[in-house]
Amino acid sequence: MMNEVTNSVVEALPQFQGYVYPNEANFHPVWSTLIVVYPYITGLVAGAFIMASLVRVFDVKALAPVYRLSMLTALAFLLCATLPLLCHLGHPERCYEIMMTPHMTSPMAIFGFVYAWYLMAVLLLELWFDYRQDFVKWSKTTAGFKGFLYRVLTLGVTDVSEKSVRLDMKMEWILSIVGIPSAFLLHGYVGFIFGSIKANPWWGNVLMPIMFILSAIVSGIALCVFNYIVLNWIRRRPLDMRCLDAMAMFLFYALVMDAVVEGLDVLHRGYAAEEGFAVLQTMIHEKLFYTLNIGQVGVGTLVPLLLLGLLQVLPRRVPEATRRVMIFCSGAMILLGVLMMRWNVVMGGQFFSKSFRGVMSYKMEFAGQEGWLISAVIMCLPFIILTVLVKLFLSERLQPCEHVLEKSSKA
Amino acid sequence: MHRFKLPPQILRLILVAMAIVGSYLVARSFLVPPSFGEYGWYRGDALKLIAARDPVFAGKQACDECHSDILHKLAKDAHKTLSCEGCHGVSREHCDNPDILPVKATGSHCIRCHEANLARPAWLKQIVVKDHYGPKCTECHLPHQPTQSP
Amino acid sequence: MNHTINRRSSLLRMGAAMAGLLTVSFARAAKAAVQTVFVSTTAPKGYDPTKHKWLMCIDASKCIGCGLCAEACKKENGVPEGPYYRTWIERYIIPKPKPGSDLTRGEAIVDSPNGGMHGFPEPTLPKDKIEHAFFVPKLCNLCENPPCIQVCPVGATFTAPDGAVLIDPNYCIGCAFCIQACPYGARFLNPATKTAEKCTLCYHRISRGLKPACVEVCPAEARIFGDLKNLAADDPLQKFYEKNRVQVLKPHLGTEPRVLYAGLDKEVR
Repeated sequence: MMNEVTNSVVEALPQFQGYVYPNEANFHPVWSTLIVVYPYITGLVAGAFIMASLVRVFDVKALAPVYRLSMLTALAFLLCATLPLLCHLGHPERCYEIMMTPHMTSPMAIFGFVYAWYLMAVLLLELWFDYRQDFVKWSKTTAGFKGFLYRVLTLGVTDVSEKSVRLDMKMEWILSIVGIPSAFLLHGYVGFIFGSIKANPWWGNVLMPIMFILSAIVSGIALCVFNYIVLNWIRRRPLDMRCLDAMAMFLFYALVMDAVVEGLDVLHRGYAAEEGFAVLQTMIHEKLFYTLNIGQVGVGTLVPLLLLGLLQVLPRRVPEATRRVMIFCSGAMILLGVLMMRWNVVMGGQFFSKSFRGVMSYKMEFAGQEGWLISAVIMCLPFIILTVLVKLFLSERLQPCEHVLEKSSKA
Repeated sequence: MHRFKLPPQILRLILVAMAIVGSYLVARSFLVPPSFGEYGWYRGDALKLIAARDPVFAGKQACDECHSDILHKLAKDAHKTLSCEGCHGVSREHCDNPDILPVKATGSHCIRCHEANLARPAWLKQIVVKDHYGPKCTECHLPHQPTQSP
Repeated sequence: MNHTINRRSSLLRMGAAMAGLLTVSFARAAKAAVQTVFVSTTAPKGYDPTKHKWLMCIDASKCIGCGLCAEACKKENGVPEGPYYRTWIERYIIPKPKPGSDLTRGEAIVDSPNGGMHGFPEPTLPKDKIEHAFFVPKLCNLCENPPCIQVCPVGATFTAPDGAVLIDPNYCIGCAFCIQACPYGARFLNPATKTAEKCTLCYHRISRGLKPACVEVCPAEARIFGDLKNLAADDPLQKFYEKNRVQVLKPHLGTEPRVLYAGLDKEVR
């Protein structure tokens, strides 16, 4: 009798291959699409910022036209970076505890401070110093709400003497230099959230933060390429091909580095073949076949490498229109590929049991707290914010002050 | 004498930064629970909160208060390690009010442990129920003194 | 004139001091009002967590796989139905090697239907194909270096002074990071409360002098529970760790579990 009862109950439960711990025998992994989106957005922030820093710190003249766009992109995405985390919490109303009683050994608690530091001490500050002179100018020439906004954003400082503007530029330079390690820290920490989980062989890996930083740079540059092309297409303005080629070059080199490190990771895992390697192999061959082998490696890495590499080898032979399409397509494919990479990391780590004896299935929900609808909304939000930011701070009607243009052409 | 003066934008930022840090510290003094840090990096009150739950299983000692005769018999035989509530079910309500009777133990409770299963250790007496007399265990075995027959 | 200025400034100072005092007392009152929210109302009596050190050990060779412990745990702690277990039993079936192969054993088959709560069905393998078969009860391993506590961002999970690894249900934000960090699968997210949950060693029982529910109902004495700070003269816990050669689960992770196992096999993890 007992056996019959047990058997019927067992059959009613979702089927899993092999053995998984009873607490893992759940169709809904505790971290779902929201946690896929979270490192993706954070990575885009870090990447876009590093791309912008190339102008300020390394004095890359060709990239000056996208400096402000990349900074605003970074800001728009940073404002949404904590949203997926917040939505995913069981008790979002208790989120203040992370800042009030941060547990210093937890990567997630430190992330709160790294985030606050990066948002307020780096990104907003650098933007403020960059825009201060323009705010003063625009607040005088613009009427209505916009003018009021610019006046508030000056924080009441109207000094635009040469000495003071020179100080602004100096501060910007310092902030960029501080900003690069901060951007590395921001996204390195996200990688560390996964890399520090020693219980999970798919995550617990010293290379994880480095892979996250490199893929962040790649995705950030790709996003800037994407935004730059789309913005100029909407405004019906010609693209600055020198700038676009420079971005494509940096994108190519970043992608090479990223591909090498990720390849090294795969090689190391295969060579060391530690405990649980067999279950990781099933993951690669079955569970993650499409998103990993085709999405991340094929579409996200190999094809863009080929396209961008071709542009590096034959820089002037390809006609401009073709080049534009090739760069745009590689950018879009890289953006998709990096999203797949985040999926593979986050979901891949939850598709197998920590007993290494079985794998779980996952049915993606549409609605609900862990459904993909809310993730899609969160993914769209930064673009909406960016539109507003571009309307306010990158308007065609409001010309920036001389010094910025001067500097960008001189620098 | 040339006095050093902070540039206006830096001064303004320092003020903003102080306001942010200040409001953080004020919020912190308000929102950190009072017992936080009593024993470590957690709410000391949590221990009391977790301990406040009412037990469901009454425990063998509670049964001993009224049924010491049965427990005495039990303690002398092979079933001495068994808990009363393992077979008779949760008896907390019965403890508080003896009129509420606990679940009557049946043969299925015997089979739960003594049905033959290869993973069971060899020292445990096991039977294949369908080859044995059947699930009417108590006709031949006394549950409280399993080595004796009625 | 000096006088008036002095008087005025001293008056001003007094005024300022009064205002300061008022603000401070007002802030204190407000703080107290805010913090009453956090203070739980039901306080237990006479239990001092610093005077105990609880430990559970498992003698796997004694486990008969009846599932009473897993069932009692769900009842005692109000654990929701479904794949949520604070303790469970695993069954390991190690087949004989294929004839002619040079192996010592076949690949282990592990199962735990409903956490073993309602017993186990007959093995799918016939008797003559099985080399070993045994049960292993599982629970929170009470790690010395708990990875779950390390990653909690707010300090909602902690090792109590008495050795129990607990979760503060009113402080947990439900981020599930601890669930990911636990190598033993001992934690789950309660779908009703949306907070992480795990074995508390039946903290509400042991603080009242009772045994944990699983220990209470175990008919085979496979679970040995005791207080290392108050060992009795003939304590089964002391006897257990003195008599047996013990093992812990996943020792290579450096979590230093305090839950000791006797009678394990290499396949158990």
